[in-house]
Amino acid sequence: MPSSESEVREEIALLAAIAGGGREAFRELYGRYSAPLFSLALRFVGDTGTAEEVLQDACLKIWRHAGSYDPAKSRPFTWAVTILRRTAIDQLRRQQRTPPALPIPADDFAPAEFASGENTRRATETHETAARVRSVLATLASPQRDALELALFSTLTHAEIAARLAQPLGSVKTWIRRGLSDLRQTLSLPPP
Amino acid sequence: MNESLEELAVLYVLDQLTPPERTAVEARLTDEPALAALVRDYESALAAGIGSLPPLQPSASVLGRIESGIDELESAGNLRRAQVGRSKPASLPSPVPRPLWVDWARWGIAAVITVSLAILAFQSLRNPRIQPVYVMVGLDANRTTFAELPSPEAKDPDTRFIQLASTAENLWRNPSARPLPAAPASGDNRGYALFDPASQQGFIAIEQLPALPGSQQYHLWVVDGKSGRIRDAGVLPLAGLNRGLYSFALDPAGTPAPDHVRPNFFITVEDTSTTQPRGKVVLGKESI
Repeated sequence: MPSSESEVREEIALLAAIAGGGREAFRELYGRYSAPLFSLALRFVGDTGTAEEVLQDACLKIWRHAGSYDPAKSRPFTWAVTILRRTAIDQLRRQQRTPPALPIPADDFAPAEFASGENTRRATETHETAARVRSVLATLASPQRDALELALFSTLTHAEIAARLAQPLGSVKTWIRRGLSDLRQTLSLPPP
Repeated sequence: MNESLEELAVLYVLDQLTPPERTAVEARLTDEPALAALVRDYESALAAGIGSLPPLQPSASVLGRIESGIDELESAGNLRRAQVGRSKPASLPSPVPRPLWVDWARWGIAAVITVSLAILAFQSLRNPRIQPVYVMVGLDANRTTFAELPSPEAKDPDTRFIQLASTAENLWRNPSARPLPAAPASGDNRGYALFDPASQQGFIAIEQLPALPGSQQYHLWVVDGKSGRIRDAGVLPLAGLNRGLYSFALDPAGTPAPDHVRPNFFITVEDTSTTQPRGKVVLGKESI
């Protein structure tokens, strides 16, 4: 997960190397992205086997399309998430399944266990950022929090989120925007 | 802060825009630093939100499977390049004196090619190439109406689906843009299907259907326009709602009819899961 501009630059360079056929660069990027993308894929589709298929397909698309990545349009991680999300939508469509229901169970917000080999600094930063995100989510009332979680962790469109929560589309869009805005502002402050 | 700009940045980062809207935002990113900065900030928020999930690791075999897939892609690419290489004409001059019959043979071949081209041109005038189309089918309790829309030439099913989804969403949002006769009075069951014969994918739009008790479900069926065979397109996940836009894909094992043969759609109420329509038809007609 990129947490600094230098890491973003590294990942842009990795994608450029992948576009040139660099297997080592691909393995490096996979090492960085596989856990967050797999965690997200599991949210999207609801079972481990399908989540691994989605991750596999998305990674092959990253390999094939790395040459068309444009850093002016998005960061590498956002680009990868977009590919993953569209792959999950396609997979659910093929299986004629609806996206699994949320919200996320409370025990998912337990302190994260970091993969061995990840350096301590990055792990600590990620842990602090995750705690701040959870603190923002904890301040939101139920429908706002559900709307934001569905926007972040499901393949639903905003209209589908509104239908699932039985809330007006305008309200849902506002909650999602404000929730993300709160996250953005919290992350822009120095750590406590 | 400009709220509409924020809204746009959020929708862009969460991939909630249609392809034309997305392209328009991407064009603005280079000229509008404020929008670009907002997008960067929301990208950080998205990454942090995803980072708050427990970082679960996929099984170790996934990387191996991905690398095998890459190997296959690369060997397929090498094969294509090799075939292209073989098809290049040799440019070396022949040192062997050319016999007289070769000239006669060349004239003969040229004559055959000319006649063949003339026949092809004549046939193409008689049978103009059929432009790929989307089929749109209006459905209500008493009638079925048809219309066609031009569809893109893309071959890749993923690309076709994205383009179809964009069209379906636009038509859903703009009823006046639908090339179908006006829907009946509100309160009646009504909807429409948008189908891409080339990829066997489609969207079913339900504008009005009564909510069902939990034990029943709406089931979508497609009638093959050529053979009349009924194909199962799945259960509509209406779940207490009486309207919505849903995608479906037909079993690829089925034999697709040519573009110009119209399929038909109908919806039944079923008590249990079924592979054949048994319940009451509530939208469209079973026969063509």
